Amino acid sequence: MRIVVDPDRCQGHNRCHVLVPEVFGVDELGYSVVVLTDEVPEHLVARTQEAVRNCPERAISTDDGSEHDAG
Amino acid sequence: MTVLPEGFGHHGKDLDSIFSTYQELRTTCPVGHSERYGGFWFLTKYEDIWAAEQNPKAFSVAQGMLLPSLGNERPLIPLDIDAPALQQFRRMLLPAFAPAKMERLEPLVREVAEQLIDGFADAEVFDASLSYARILPMIVFAEMAGLPREDYDRFQDWVERTMYGRTEDPADAVAAAKEVDAYFRELRRKRLDEPERDDLVGCLLSGSIDGRPISEDEFADYCFLLLVAGLETSAWSIRAALWYLAQHPEDRRRLVAEPELMVKATEEFLRCLAPVQGMARTLQQDVEIRGQVLAAGERVLLLLGSGNRDEEVFADADHVVIDRGDNPHLAFGIGSHRCLGSNLGRREVRLGLAVLLARIPDFELADSDEQWWGVGPLLLRRTDPAVAGPRAEATAAPARAGEEAGP
Repeated sequence: MRIVVDPDRCQGHNRCHVLVPEVFGVDELGYSVVVLTDEVPEHLVARTQEAVRNCPERAISTDDGSEHDAG
Repeated sequence: MTVLPEGFGHHGKDLDSIFSTYQELRTTCPVGHSERYGGFWFLTKYEDIWAAEQNPKAFSVAQGMLLPSLGNERPLIPLDIDAPALQQFRRMLLPAFAPAKMERLEPLVREVAEQLIDGFADAEVFDASLSYARILPMIVFAEMAGLPREDYDRFQDWVERTMYGRTEDPADAVAAAKEVDAYFRELRRKRLDEPERDDLVGCLLSGSIDGRPISEDEFADYCFLLLVAGLETSAWSIRAALWYLAQHPEDRRRLVAEPELMVKATEEFLRCLAPVQGMARTLQQDVEIRGQVLAAGERVLLLLGSGNRDEEVFADADHVVIDRGDNPHLAFGIGSHRCLGSNLGRREVRLGLAVLLARIPDFELADSDEQWWGVGPLLLRRTDPAVAGPRAEATAAPARAGEEAGP
């Protein structure tokens, strides 16, 4: 699973950064930046999927099609 | 239906039963019209609110996000500003609220919290709102913003008269808003004569918009918003969470035993008991939502507090589940107007609760009729063995820390 954050959608809630700092960093304005652009290692997958589902802007997508069910 | 849509309101006593009202409205009248506050449409469903927040061209904030207004004469900044000026105003303060800066604030929040608790740690009954929930965010915010300590009483008075007074005494809200305006103009003059400081006021003073420096009007309008947003919302959230925890010993004990749960619990308290239940927009074009046509020019209230309890999005939506995993709540708003101070707010709530629970793990409501909302008193009675023994008799009077700062 690889992660992409849509910069046009991210509004800097930092929910992903708090949940999985290993995968999601932030820039100086507080917007999300993917720091782990490689394959997400097995032990972080569940937390990363949780971060995807907690993003209220639906800004995070994965290449394995795991979508959040909020919409 | 217990509340008719045309009588719907989201302030004061209407909040007593608003969660059951939301539940009924979501089922029977998800898009409704109220006659109050000059007349407005309201949206109760998460998906409808989400779509409106993501469509700022149709749902403008220019006529004010607060319904009714705080008594301000000009738009609050950046709350009531549409793109593209919105992004310029937000950029002035975004770096100051980024996580790294918030991290550095953590020792201050903890220290202030500990000191406030020292003031009532020996009492059997204490006012968790006036002695704690209201004081902690004020001190932290004033420090961060660069507002003088000697003015704390005035800040509390202004927040009271604008945020709460606006529905009961709108003329006084207008008078208070004028005082706020004059105060920040004076502060600006003083600060311009002083060396530059790295606080929120300093960031605003050096801010520019369309290549020119921020004007005195804009500075005052930005500071007004920061004051009410910075003081009132975190205070409400901490108070509401303590109100809940006082009645749910199992959750309280779990948070004491598993403090790492506090991150999720904080989001859950924000979802269920948020200080901002609704934010208004004004339609720039006709829109149709669930078969209902809303016309250009009409006001629309996005009921974030109802979206947060929408059973189509959240399992067990009307209950606080302190370890809730999936929680894309709307408490801070979403889209381009996401609360600028959300990372400060959630940190104040999380630390405010964590420090208090570590010192005072067991308590109950001293007045069982106490309501969940607002920033009024919240008397709590300690039930932990530390004071529930003979010592309790000697300390029966409610204690108030931070008295010098005023309630």
